Amino acid sequence: MQTPEDTGQTEALRRAILLADPKLSRFDPLPRIICFDDFDQGFCGWTQLMGNYENDIDCVTPSYAQHTQPMLSNLTTWDFGSHGAFDGTYALKIATRPRAGSRNVGIKRLTFRRRGPIRLEFYFTFKPEANELRLSESDVRSVGFGYDLQVGDGDADAFRIMPQVRFLNAEHGEHVQKWQFKRETTPFRSLGTENKTVTHDHLANENWLDLPGGHQKLCYNEIPTKVNWHYACFDFDLATMQATGFRCNDRAFDVGTFESIRIPAMRNLWCMLNIFFFADTDIDKRTFFYLDSVCLSGEF
Amino acid sequence: MLRESQSAVVVRNEVWRGCLASEPYEAGWAQEVTLFVLALKESIGAPGNAHVEISPDGIHWAREGTSFALPTRKDAVTFARVGHFGNWLRLAIEMPDGAELTAVATIHTKA
Repeated sequence: MQTPEDTGQTEALRRAILLADPKLSRFDPLPRIICFDDFDQGFCGWTQLMGNYENDIDCVTPSYAQHTQPMLSNLTTWDFGSHGAFDGTYALKIATRPRAGSRNVGIKRLTFRRRGPIRLEFYFTFKPEANELRLSESDVRSVGFGYDLQVGDGDADAFRIMPQVRFLNAEHGEHVQKWQFKRETTPFRSLGTENKTVTHDHLANENWLDLPGGHQKLCYNEIPTKVNWHYACFDFDLATMQATGFRCNDRAFDVGTFESIRIPAMRNLWCMLNIFFFADTDIDKRTFFYLDSVCLSGEF
Repeated sequence: MLRESQSAVVVRNEVWRGCLASEPYEAGWAQEVTLFVLALKESIGAPGNAHVEISPDGIHWAREGTSFALPTRKDAVTFARVGHFGNWLRLAIEMPDGAELTAVATIHTKA
């Protein structure tokens, strides 16, 4: 049997190993690392979010039909060449189309083993396509992330829940720069003829709410091709299905009012743990959302 | 270390008419690429050709020199293989007046 002293020593050893590891030292993972995706190692299971369909591909909702595959990017610029990632060469790139309001989503699909605390940490940056010789700081509308979760089939409660966070960078040309969350999705729509598939757009631009104190000026740099990497950390408890913390760089935000989209359980999604990152553009110019690395950890 | 490979659907169920291009696809990590076009429906008229284009920056584009005929029959695929493409790829489509193709375009890359 472990004594408190043993537990303390184990934790001290775990922390020492993490701090000495150049790859993991810049993360603060919970005891179990569920996945550590360094995009210098490849796509690591990140793909595009395909919209639902049944019998006919034409029934995919247009906001999903526009999605494309994420890429591995070395952040090459027209004016000074390859920028590279936080470390190594490659980052995951989620690119919108060059139409105002266009969106793209990268997703990783897992399931969970235990309903307990989980922590999502990632290093990110964003920029519009640098096809104009101007700062372009208000061209990206937003970048964000979220989970798509559903309880286990043996749980007493039965629901699906989607905590979502976005950094609203700009809207209608105004450089807003604030964090938001969302508790409402669009109405459900049945697809096809077999009554097995429905769709809704949980990332639609409507119904986003401001996180209290959520204004934050991120480092954008001085021309449209230079990027700086940012750290973000989102804590969520799968037991209570509540957000428990959110940090970005030097700021910790109050998640006391944070709510998620909560909808009835679906027949095929038990223990689902999907992670997604998304971006949209405020003008007719591509938005690029880059992720250097993602670490998902849990307490189990 | 296994060689990285990726199949990317860059066009899905889009109706092509006239001149257009697929979204820029960045794959500087890859040594070789195969590009496919799949016809989801019978084409209207002769759909013409697809041309592989490359770019120094993802903004300015030039013909790589590889072209291939677009498929005409439903479920038919045509393709081209390309190496030494640098960092960016896309497909440029040139269709004659009145021609139409409902297409899926995919880019298959391998390190």
